[in-house]
Amino acid sequence: MLNIKDLHASIEGKEILKGLSLEVKPGEVHAIMGPNGSGKSTLASVLAGNEDFEVTSGSVDFLGNDLLELGPDERSHAGVFLAFQYPVEIPGVSNINFLKAAINERREALGEEPITAKEFLKQVKEKASLVELDNKLTNRSVNEGFSGGEKKRNEIFQMAMLEPKLAILDETDSGLDIDALRIVANGVNQLRSKERSFVVVTHYQRLLDHIVPDFVHVLYDGKIVKTGGKELALELEEKGYDWIKKEADAVTA
Amino acid sequence: MDLAKEMTKEQAVLDSMKNSYNHAVADSFSTTSSKSLLNLESLEFPTTKVEYWKYTRTGQIANKAWKFGNLDNIDLPENLPVAKYRMVFVNGHFDTQRSTLPQVEGLTILPFSKSEVQNSIAQSEEDIFRAWNTAMPQDGYFISLAKNKAVEEPLQIVFLYSGENTISQPRSFVELAENSELKISEFHIHSSGSLAFANAHSEVIVGDNSHLKMDIVQHGSEKGFHFHETFGEQGKNCTYTQNTFTLSGNWTRNNSTIRLKDEHSECNLNGFYIPNLKEHIDNHTIIDHEKPNCESNELYRGVLLDKSTGVFNGKVYVRQDAQKTNAFQSNGNIIVSDTATMNSKPELEIYADDVKCSHGSTTGQLDDEAVFYLMARGLSKENARKLLINAFAEDVLEKLVNGDLREIIEDTIQTKLA
Repeated sequence: MLNIKDLHASIEGKEILKGLSLEVKPGEVHAIMGPNGSGKSTLASVLAGNEDFEVTSGSVDFLGNDLLELGPDERSHAGVFLAFQYPVEIPGVSNINFLKAAINERREALGEEPITAKEFLKQVKEKASLVELDNKLTNRSVNEGFSGGEKKRNEIFQMAMLEPKLAILDETDSGLDIDALRIVANGVNQLRSKERSFVVVTHYQRLLDHIVPDFVHVLYDGKIVKTGGKELALELEEKGYDWIKKEADAVTA
Repeated sequence: MDLAKEMTKEQAVLDSMKNSYNHAVADSFSTTSSKSLLNLESLEFPTTKVEYWKYTRTGQIANKAWKFGNLDNIDLPENLPVAKYRMVFVNGHFDTQRSTLPQVEGLTILPFSKSEVQNSIAQSEEDIFRAWNTAMPQDGYFISLAKNKAVEEPLQIVFLYSGENTISQPRSFVELAENSELKISEFHIHSSGSLAFANAHSEVIVGDNSHLKMDIVQHGSEKGFHFHETFGEQGKNCTYTQNTFTLSGNWTRNNSTIRLKDEHSECNLNGFYIPNLKEHIDNHTIIDHEKPNCESNELYRGVLLDKSTGVFNGKVYVRQDAQKTNAFQSNGNIIVSDTATMNSKPELEIYADDVKCSHGSTTGQLDDEAVFYLMARGLSKENARKLLINAFAEDVLEKLVNGDLREIIEDTIQTKLA
């Protein structure tokens, strides 16, 4: 589904990703862990098409398309979804109206009919309950005045509405208390399916107790330096990242 | 001897205007007019050296031989909302044919020249354009509403401007007696391609316990000039609301000066502007709190495209006697291109010590992060930008007194953003 090969990306001339490769098959959940500054969020941003980052070399194939050739909106239409680490507050733009516009723009891009008001409302009700998102919040301005947990729940709610093929969760656990984390993880788990893949970027192992990954990758200095199963996450939690750094630095040296 | 060489440009324009002036001034107003004509002998065109005109040039107006126009047959805009009461003015002439004025007890509506207005509440010796209008006034509306009367339906007033080097000087006056209520929807529309100068002057007097609510929609032309001055005086426990939407126009200047002359009254001045190409829009407001316990609110929002320029200057005076004043002023701007300019200057002058006043001005680009966020959800860049700009405009749109005007305003915004 997703095939990243030797990806290099930089921001303001500084190289962050230095030859990252990763393959994700349908239905798989991949966790990307790593110390701060290793490039985890950069990977998420680059995959979603954030123009602040410049891809200098490498390729990203998504379902047979060159993902890097597509704009952020086209990637969304193709089935990529990014749950932001810091969802943006947009005063005056209603959560519901914007979601409807987003859904219809994708439908139009795919040559489908616009969603009916009835069907849309039915889905809103259904999907909001997945993450226990209050009705009032769905009608408010996008993320405006939402608590940290509400913002993250809103991200998962949007994900549920847009039904992506590949969901990238960028440190969705950051700033969440255990109750909020459980709600968010529960929402994600209900959206897992044989066709839908997840890339879960996180600094902590805690989230992975709830969203159990098939693979755990350790990102360090812009590259994946270690790959394992879910046990790797536990090992990292116990031993920290220092031993990974030492191992990786020894290889480069 | 060539006399023209010795003439100042002020005299030259004035002569051209005098020679073409084709309006009757009401007897009641003639003394005021004559006085203004005398004042004009010493008034000059303002330059950018004067603080009040620092960012708006009048040179293009000063160098034209303006002539008064006629009651031409110009079409009303197709998307004009249906209205029960309608007054139409063409180049400063009252268009009886296309006006509809049902009789309502207590409501007097006349063209200005048929009224018995004697004086001006504005000082005509201060400004050349104001003195022009006072010296050679044309027809705007005269509206007087009697005590204890409320008119539910908004009165629609349409000013049309057209021609080449045509000046129009509509003068309007509205007075609300005690405990009355009125809504006005005003349109100022310059014909596309015309080179007209609209020098409009309005005066409003809001009596005790009365409410006057006004929407003004301005549609200029690519070459024309639009100047609109409003002077207002408010009594006790009353409200004056004015929402100005400047949708287009090569050159627009709005001056609104409101005096809060008695206690417990409220003044709301709001505005939205969206200039593109090389359009220039300037909003100047003065709210004068003379007495205690009054409130004023100002919200001006602008979206500046292409090479346009915008100016906002809002001045609030709180006089020594005006304790417990609440005055809020906010001007926000989004600069959409690299070549647009905004000059924003909020000013407060406070002489009382127990007041709540705030003013703020923000000018910035469209939020890139928000655009990316919306695009990541599937919106095209164009639609993401539109959504953000519409949300920004909505803060002023929601103040509309007459909701029927929404469509005409939103359509222009969409066209300009396309």
